[in-house]
Amino acid sequence: MTEVPLHEPWEPLALAPPRWNGALRAVASYVLPPAVALAIGLIFWEVWTRARDISILLVPPPSRVIDRFLDRPGFFLGEGMTTLYEALLGLALGAAVAIAAAVLMAHSRLAERALFPLAILVKVTPVVAVAPLLVIWFGFGLWPKVCVAALISFFPFLVNSITGFRSVSPGAMEFVQSLRASPLDVFLKLRAPSALPYLFAALKVSLPLSLIGAVVAEWFSGDKGLGLVIFTANYQLDTPTLFAAIAVLAVIGVSLNIGASLLERRVLFWHEAFREQG
Amino acid sequence: MPKPTWLKLLLVSLIPILVALLAACEDEEQSAATATPTTTPQATLTPASLTFMAGFKPQANLPFVGAYVAQEKGFFQEQGLTVDIKHSRTSGEEFRFLVAGEVQITTADAAVVLERRSGDPPVPVVAVALIGQSGQQGFAVLADSGIQTPKDWEGKTAGYKGSKPTPDYLAILDAEGVDRSKIQEVRVGYEPQVLTEKKVDVLAVFISNEPDTLARLGYPVRTFEPADYGVPTLGLTYVTSESYLQEHPDIVQRFLKAALKGIYYAKDNPEEAIDIVLKFAPEEDREHQKFMFETELAAALVGPAQQNGIGWMTADQWQALYDKLQRYQALSGPLADLSAAYSDQALQNIYRDGQLQWP
Repeated sequence: MTEVPLHEPWEPLALAPPRWNGALRAVASYVLPPAVALAIGLIFWEVWTRARDISILLVPPPSRVIDRFLDRPGFFLGEGMTTLYEALLGLALGAAVAIAAAVLMAHSRLAERALFPLAILVKVTPVVAVAPLLVIWFGFGLWPKVCVAALISFFPFLVNSITGFRSVSPGAMEFVQSLRASPLDVFLKLRAPSALPYLFAALKVSLPLSLIGAVVAEWFSGDKGLGLVIFTANYQLDTPTLFAAIAVLAVIGVSLNIGASLLERRVLFWHEAFREQG
Repeated sequence: MPKPTWLKLLLVSLIPILVALLAACEDEEQSAATATPTTTPQATLTPASLTFMAGFKPQANLPFVGAYVAQEKGFFQEQGLTVDIKHSRTSGEEFRFLVAGEVQITTADAAVVLERRSGDPPVPVVAVALIGQSGQQGFAVLADSGIQTPKDWEGKTAGYKGSKPTPDYLAILDAEGVDRSKIQEVRVGYEPQVLTEKKVDVLAVFISNEPDTLARLGYPVRTFEPADYGVPTLGLTYVTSESYLQEHPDIVQRFLKAALKGIYYAKDNPEEAIDIVLKFAPEEDREHQKFMFETELAAALVGPAQQNGIGWMTADQWQALYDKLQRYQALSGPLADLSAAYSDQALQNIYRDGQLQWP
């Protein structure tokens, strides 16, 4: 009778180097599920539009959208880069102003009471309504688009920054104060690190918003960008171009979010959320 | 055109499902075809319903006025029609609804009809009456700007709407020998303040709209109209889809007859017509609506319409427009059959010696 070992090792996996093993697992668990879901969605969409003979003027099959993108990939990517540039500049501006305002508000309830309602006013003002005015105020160049992206990115950064700057544990605060630390030291060594997880959360919310802001602004002025491509394609009922531009925008948005998540893991390696995940 | 390999593989793997779905749909279509009787043009006024979507917000654009008046004065009803009047809220929406069958008749600039038909994908729409015998677009400068002729545009900033400068603009430059490289062209929105704030010196405008708005704001303007420089232009048309015209020529004809009757009624009773417009557009300024109506009415009573009646159109007019659009690369490609873009059959049927036959 053959002796069967109690703990049979699984050779193929055991032979793989540990790093590759981990990378494969990460791919399997993070990339495959959305990729498969997307593929199923696209196939269903393709079959549905063809089987029902849906007019391409109403809904284009994904194959036509992909064809349109492959016809002029440089064009779509170039326009996408323009929009990305405007969005990131706007995001940087919105974040800078929001963080500066949050520092003030986190230190002074009076400042918060005075400024926060104004911030809400900015938040509830539809950018579509102000975008044309920004063109009149700032001209036809880059600034109207940057301003719209900044306006739309501002509020998530403000709210999260205020919460973050105030999220210092009382024990840590007492300890730092017992060392007679200056307000600047308290801010730099205690408040700012405490706020980082909140700022990353704001970043992940604001990145796609800033893209939307840039696109909306491009509807009203400028001769480049995905917003103009979408505007023109929509007017001309060129749905393959419309969807291709939207897809490029979506890919940029997803890439930005993945980038932000990776950066977050690197910067916040000390945070319990990432320590637990290893 | 190339398709990605992965997509092909996935599609191939799903061929059985696809075949089953197609078979199911074919069955459905066959049973629908057996159940529905073939539609033929009606000789009598059988009741019919349709949706008319004006190509913009409620206002006194002449084709809109025709429909408003026809609705309010019962002309549609006399033609056995129940018409639901809607308005487009975004650019291009009206064509999308037309193709989807949600809307049966809409309005569009004649040049836009040709542009859409030449698009990729092409939009199968047909103009059935030409209300504006000259184009809607002109170019405005502030009256005190010192700009007297298109040649003076050199060294200035010109604002255009849409995605690129229009053929009308380019044709004026050509006609007047203007050096385009000396003009800074910028894309602008629909706010005429860009002119009053001197962000631009020359602004593309709708002749029946912005010049009056600007004058009311205290900024009188001088306008340059393409027709004055020998540029062939056409204005707003009533438009339907190829399939609807093919299946329901009688309904299209009855709609057209009632709407044109509405325009003639408005011409004879302008104050009442403006009252009717304001029922559809209560927020609008009466005087501005009157300006719009009078401007567009004047543009509707010239050219072939003088002899043949409002809405009349000829092959020569469309050919001249097409040639201009081709010359300035406004079309995605040449049209295989220009005459398919318009149909004057209904007009031929409802006019006799330039008189609208009513009812």
